[in-house]
Parts: sequence; structure tokens; C-alpha cells
Amino acid sequence: MASSLHPYSFPASFHPLPHLSTRSLNPRHSNRTRFTPIPIRSMLQWNRKPELSGETPRVVVITSGKGGVGKTTTTANIGVSLARYGFSVVAVDADAGLRNLDLLLGLESRVVYTAAEALNGDCRLDQALVRDRRWSSLELLCISRPRSKLSLAFGPKALTWVVDALRSRSSGPPDFVLIDCPAGIDAGFVTAIAPAHEAVLVTTPDITALRDADRVTGLLECDGIRDIKMIVNRVRTDLIRGEDMMSVLDVQEMLGLALLGVIPDDAEVIKSTNRGYPLVLNQPPSMAGLAFEQAAWRLAEQDSMKAVMVEEEPKKRGFFSFFGG
Amino acid sequence: MASIPATLHLPRLRSLPPLIRIRFLSVAASPNSQVDSFPSRRIHLKNLVIRAAGGSLDSGDGKNAKDPAHNELEGGGVDPQRMGLSLHATISTIRAPLLRMKGSSFDMKYAVWLCIAFAASVVVIFVRQIVVRSHRRERQGSVADLIRRGQLRSDRRGISKPLRYDDPFNNPLVKAGEGDSTIEMFGKVYRMAPVTLTREQQSSHQKRRSQIYQWKSPTVFLKEGDDIPPDVDPDRVRWIPANHPFATTVSDIDENLARENVYQKHGAPFRIRVEHEAMQRKIDALQSRQKSSKTPHDPNRSTRDFERQINSARPQEQQETDLPTNQHLEHPTSGRDSDEITTTDELKKL
Repeated sequence: MASSLHPYSFPASFHPLPHLSTRSLNPRHSNRTRFTPIPIRSMLQWNRKPELSGETPRVVVITSGKGGVGKTTTTANIGVSLARYGFSVVAVDADAGLRNLDLLLGLESRVVYTAAEALNGDCRLDQALVRDRRWSSLELLCISRPRSKLSLAFGPKALTWVVDALRSRSSGPPDFVLIDCPAGIDAGFVTAIAPAHEAVLVTTPDITALRDADRVTGLLECDGIRDIKMIVNRVRTDLIRGEDMMSVLDVQEMLGLALLGVIPDDAEVIKSTNRGYPLVLNQPPSMAGLAFEQAAWRLAEQDSMKAVMVEEEPKKRGFFSFFGG
Repeated sequence: MASIPATLHLPRLRSLPPLIRIRFLSVAASPNSQVDSFPSRRIHLKNLVIRAAGGSLDSGDGKNAKDPAHNELEGGGVDPQRMGLSLHATISTIRAPLLRMKGSSFDMKYAVWLCIAFAASVVVIFVRQIVVRSHRRERQGSVADLIRRGQLRSDRRGISKPLRYDDPFNNPLVKAGEGDSTIEMFGKVYRMAPVTLTREQQSSHQKRRSQIYQWKSPTVFLKEGDDIPPDVDPDRVRWIPANHPFATTVSDIDENLARENVYQKHGAPFRIRVEHEAMQRKIDALQSRQKSSKTPHDPNRSTRDFERQINSARPQEQQETDLPTNQHLEHPTSGRDSDEITTTDELKKL
């Protein structure tokens, strides 16, 4: 029996993205294209430790609605970045049937117990936490085994208990609890968002992801989560310049959310995923890794982007550029 | 080593071919110098010999007799004297600068440096080829190559150095300008645009979404077909299909117990403790049953009785052959083996 307020049911006349048109695909047609010189603050931060703001533990759910936009990649990289900054992080993979966060962190062979076993009494919760050997302040908690069913008898309360238990653990509460939300708005989504106080919405600049992102944002706001920031993933400036992709500012105009980060499309993401080595640990850092680092920085300081990269400019070449100078 | 003629030989006018060839016959050192010690010794050229050679009847090898141009000349009726005069005039014009070069040390130095440069380039190419081949041999199949291709994990190999916090963003590939609205990343300059989302715009979007998405977060998950509990809002029920691949509403423990399990910080987990206690109760029950029996449990006596039964059940011949084996029957496991043998024999008899 479905209720009349089911999230799948929308008025037929409703267009969740009223501003979407071919004209808006081009950032140059936007009214905001009068670029004025601005001081670049919070674009890149370095040489100081980010200041943790807000009440700890910060319980952040990373969600999108649409699958395959980079939720798990974002969770892994932001988690590792926060651990590099010196914060204690517990990354919870709330995707019951299709968990992948352990693979991205390279911890898949060390997951013995999960939160489901902790609920059943097969282990304690601290035994289900997998500590990363690279950064000991990062811990992973999987909610269930890959081929087992998660018992939803207690509803979303189970994950709330887990977060409360983490808050009251003897070694002190973690600074961040990052919850990797499964795709869709099914029972997994409801379970994942239950203990969260803030949300990071991951989307790509295409209309399918934007429609789902808008819908998920609405559900999060209905659930009482007001602090929602957005990460626009897989941005390609060459496509934006050729008017084949929406610009980040257009995405922001459609969703009306503060920007936590803009991640450029980078082949290094696939490489790091297959290696089980998060992108932010690459040496030398890649563009996407750097963008994840900055997003984690802003998340820690509860900051948002003040300026975004819109397109590539031809580099000014010097007098001796012919000789490689 | 060729000898150095000291004169410029002019061709004989009679056998002059139509093509004029100025040929550097020989460039060599003085008779005392040795070419073998070329790189290390300074070489002085005294004479640069330039000879304009035509049909070269002097060479005597007869090659020029087969020259088609020469044959054409001979049968063509061209005035050789006239051509000879023109050649003489030509040579006289080029003779002056060439002879001016004669005797100067610049030409020799130039040739030496040319040879040195040529030899150096050959050596460089050779060394580079060796280095590239050895480097290629190292790369193929190496750990670094496998990691680069993604077939090995770098963190398991211990060759990666983790980044430290000390300077996480001191990246020379990123240059952020303070004054202008550009940023240079990885060799590319990007233009920056300010974010102009205002609070009013955010609140208007929130208002729009609140009008569209009126959703109550489910608090109870029920299997399809179950009855809604009386104290639960129907709008807050999420119905889970019975064949949901990843979720089930069935649980073998109650809610309070699950909560206690999650909050447990020390000691054995609940299920391990329960299993341990159940096993302990079973052992206690077994021991109490043995104590309650009248005859005390004597393992040696029961073993002896068991042996007696086995020996009586076997034929005499087999008892004699198995005599060394029976000595090992003191061990309880050996007793089990003989028991198996006995039972199989009995089965055969039956």
C-alpha cells in the first residue's frame, strides 16, 4: 500500500528544472557572465590546518538519487582527505547490497564483520570498524555483507543507533561520520539519511542527474536536513565551451544549492578506483584529487565556493616560449 | 694515405667533357702526421688540392669512355676549344677564393670540428640507444610498471610514500592569482567566475521544493501484505517487497536486544556469549548425568571390556595375526579403528 505522497508521484505539469533550455546550456548567455576580477578565496587553501566547525560528530550523508555519479568516490576521497587533515573519520557504507566503498579504499580484504553482525550480536561495533593502515584516523564500517540481506526490521533506527554508539564510544567520538548513501530513494536511502544532520549532494551536469538531485534535495529537506551542499562531478570545460554541457553556474542556478566542490573529469579517477588507492593520495596530485581535497577543506570549515573555474584560457606565452621558456 | 699533389691540375682541352666536376681529391695531413691519432693530435694541412677533372683520361681506368655524355660530346660536333676557353674562364673565376683559402688554418679547423661533431653525435646516439633499451628492459614487467598499469596495488607493495599533512597543497602545478580572476593548474589557465547565489535564491528554491515534494520520512518497514500496527502513521510506512534482493523485514532478535548489541563496548558479543553459555550448560548436564549414574566412569575398565568383546568376536587366526596391532589398542583412537574392523567383519559374516 503506497501512500498518496509517494516520492515517485509528481504532478504532470511539474517541471523540476524550469530554467533548463538550450540557451541556458551556454554560460556565455547567462547574466552572470560579466566577469569581474575577484579575490580568489577558498578556491585553494594551503599551508594551514582547516578549522573544524560545527558540533562533532558531523554526520554527513553523501547522496545523489541517480546512480553512477560518484557518491562512493566522493566519500572515499573526502574521507581520506579529512583523515589527512588530522580529523577522525568513520566512513559508513550504507549500500546494503552493492557496497563498493571498501574497494575504493583498498580495504575489502579486511572486512570481516559488518554493522549487521553487530546488530545481531555476533561482534561488537568496534570489532566491525576497519581501521585504514595509511591513515589511522580513518575507519570503515560496512552495513552488511555483499550477498546478504540487510534486516530492516528496525527501520532507519538501526543506523541511528550505530551513530549514537560511535558518538559514545570510549575512544571519543569521531569528528566526521560520512555515510555513503545508495542510489535511489528506496529503503536504503531512508536508512542512510536517518542519522544525518547535513548532506552532500553529488551530481553531474546532465539533466537526468539534475532532476534526481532536485528530487532528492526535496526529500532531504522534508526530512529536516537543511544544510545541503552540492558537488558537481565530471565537469569538462571543453564541452562547456562548446555548449555541449551545462556550466557549473547553470547547475547551481537550477538547484539553488551552495557549492562544496567542482570535480573535473579526470582519467585518474578510474585508475585510482581500480587500484584501490584514493585519488587524493596520488603523487603528484591530479586535478580531480586536488578538487576533492578542496571540497573536504570546505566541508570541514562549513564553507562553500565563492568562485568557480568556467573555462580554459589560452596561456600567455612569453618571449622565449618558442624555446620552451 | 693519399699523397698530396702540390699543384692544381687543369684538364686537357681536347678531352674536356661537357660537365665540369670540381672534386676534392684528398684532404690529408702532412706526411709526418698520423690519422690514427686523430682525436688527440693536432693536424696541420699544408695544401688543399682542388682539381677540375673532366673525362679524366689520366686516370686510365676507362670508365669515362663509357660515359654517354662523353660519347655525345665526341659525336656531337661541339667545338671543344670554345668550351675549353669557357671552362678556363670559369675556373679562373673560382680559382681566386679557393686559392685564397689555401694555406690558411681555418679550413682545417673547420674540418676537424666537423669530424668531432659527427663523432660526438654518433656516440650520443649510440649511448642513448643503449640507455633506452636497458630502461625498456627494466620497465617491462617491473612492479612500477604493473602498478602504473593498474595490475598491482601500490599500497601493498610499500613503494608508495603517503602524503603527509605538512604541505599538502604546495603543488608547483597550481598557481592561484590573488589579484586577477584566473588560476593556472597543471599548465592550463582557467578563467574564474564568481558565485552569485544569494540567500533569497536559496530560500525560493527551498520553497519551491517544499511545495512539490511533500514527503514524510518512513519510520517503519513492513513486508507487503502485513497489517499496519495501530500506533503507526500509514504515511510513514515503507513497504518492502518479500523478494527484495537486499532487504528483509525479518529479524530473529528483538529491537531492544539489537540496540544493546550495538551499544555494547566491552566483553564477549551477545551471540558468542549465548552460544558459550549454551555449550557450558550442555557440558554441565552431561557431567551431572555421569555423576548420577551408579557405576563410576572408568575409561580403562571400559576399554578393557571393549577389547574383550572384540577379541571374542574375532576368529582365532586373525587374533594371532593382529597381535602387534592390539598392543596399540591402549590408545583410544586405535580402539576405534579395531571397532570399525570388527563391525565390517560382522557385516561380512551376516
